Amino acid sequence: MPELLEVRDVVAGYGRGPAILTGTSLTVRPGQVQCIIGPNGAGKSTLLKAISGLLPVRSGEIRFEGERIDGLRPDQILRKGICFVPQERALFPRMSVRENLRMGGYVIDDKKVLESRIEEVLRQFPILRERAHQRAGTMSGGQQQMLAMARTLIVKPKIVMLDEPSLGLAPKIVQQMFEIMHMLKDRGMTVILVEQNAIMGLNNSTWGAVLDLGKTLFEGPAQEVLADPRIKELYLGKAKAAA
Amino acid sequence: MSNVIQIVILGLALGGVYALMASGLTLIFGVMRIVNLAHPVLIIAGAFVTFWLFRLYGVDPILAMPVAAIALFCVGVILYKLIFEKEAASAKYSEMTVLLTFAVAMIFDGLLGWLFTNTQRVTTPSYATDAIFIGDVFIPTGQLYAGVASLVVIGLLLLFLQYTRFGYAIRATTQNRAAAQLMGVNVGLVSLITFGIGIGLAGAAGSLVSFIFSFFPAKHWEWIAILMSLVVLGGMGKLGGVIAGSLILSVIAAFVGAYIGSTWSTMTFFLALFVILLVRPQGLFGDKIEEA
Repeated sequence: MPELLEVRDVVAGYGRGPAILTGTSLTVRPGQVQCIIGPNGAGKSTLLKAISGLLPVRSGEIRFEGERIDGLRPDQILRKGICFVPQERALFPRMSVRENLRMGGYVIDDKKVLESRIEEVLRQFPILRERAHQRAGTMSGGQQQMLAMARTLIVKPKIVMLDEPSLGLAPKIVQQMFEIMHMLKDRGMTVILVEQNAIMGLNNSTWGAVLDLGKTLFEGPAQEVLADPRIKELYLGKAKAAA
Repeated sequence: MSNVIQIVILGLALGGVYALMASGLTLIFGVMRIVNLAHPVLIIAGAFVTFWLFRLYGVDPILAMPVAAIALFCVGVILYKLIFEKEAASAKYSEMTVLLTFAVAMIFDGLLGWLFTNTQRVTTPSYATDAIFIGDVFIPTGQLYAGVASLVVIGLLLLFLQYTRFGYAIRATTQNRAAAQLMGVNVGLVSLITFGIGIGLAGAAGSLVSFIFSFFPAKHWEWIAILMSLVVLGGMGKLGGVIAGSLILSVIAAFVGAYIGSTWSTMTFFLALFVILLVRPQGLFGDKIEEA
């Protein structure tokens, strides 16, 4: 079976600055929830930005279903079937919830299909229906995150990439976000999840990859990665040395 | 009382034209963060298109609006392709665009002056010098028609932005450029078309300017500060804000002109610009200063 997404030796960085990704590789197989963990500054978010096309790839290659996608614009990559929900959630603050959902389906040409999918999302998330006319920028952080994740259901991409969906949310709300993530997976999407909290992230995933200093250290089934002694070293190593 | 009504109506009519003049400017700023200092000179270019259509073929200036708009739309698209498309990648983008648009303003100023000289021009359709009386209220039809025509064009623009797919793309790009890309919007194309539309609006405004003011190429320097004050007042890049701001300021300027002196009428805009920047830099209708 061909890999769904293949990232090979990718080097990328911001503007003329130093490379943040220094040869990152990653393999994503269909139907997984793949969690990318690693300490602060490891390049997790940068990797997602490079895959989404927001950040140009300096060298290396990214293949989606065997086809090279590095060098394409973000809108072209979305049309291929990769949807990215960044940390900032990519909402339009002065548009209503319904308008945000409509923008989520911008690439859908058939108006009827678009409206029926919006209806579907609103049925699934009653809170969003209640607030359909409210400006997205005035909602709570949890509701905004819910909107950003629910919005991916409209285009039904093959891969959805979530950059720290739990960031800044109360524990109870975080649990809800993971439930939405599992719902996306149940709808047939492959999920790439970036998490600061390694234990929480891996416990909600099937596969894990560990990133440090812009390189992939190792990867494997989520529970094995979680049990790997190198994880403790990575997160606690410096603290131990200091003590 | 009739005096007050008259001042308000004249202020609103002129405000409508200012709103049209500033709407393209704010649209372009919203999508591309370009402060287009060449906007007023392109309004004058639109006025010249209208002037020659009127002089040579007797085309009514208001009917000439679509022609001026399309002609200037093309100018906008060419300018964007030539100058701004490459600049978008530059790290010093905003500084560069101010200098570049200033240069474009000087080039067009010189070009129009060379082609048509700096003599005062005005188109003279019959309604430009007419007036209607409603009771004691005296309204020059030229300004009335210009104000109404402006509001119609602005109304069409708002409908386009609110209800069409491309309108959604423009609004989305204004609010969050990266997010718009992630939703599948080709922001490069949106920028190109928006720049064309913005300059096209300048052309349409030029048609109206051709009969309510006399104009000449170098006149645009006067308008830069006025248009900037309107855009800042409305909250940079916010179309609704710039429309409301234009109407409010023009009515205030009309009162200042009537009761204090017409020299002070123009000063209203500059004073407003100072006060707004000091007291409420995000503009009357801006939520907060957004980091670009």
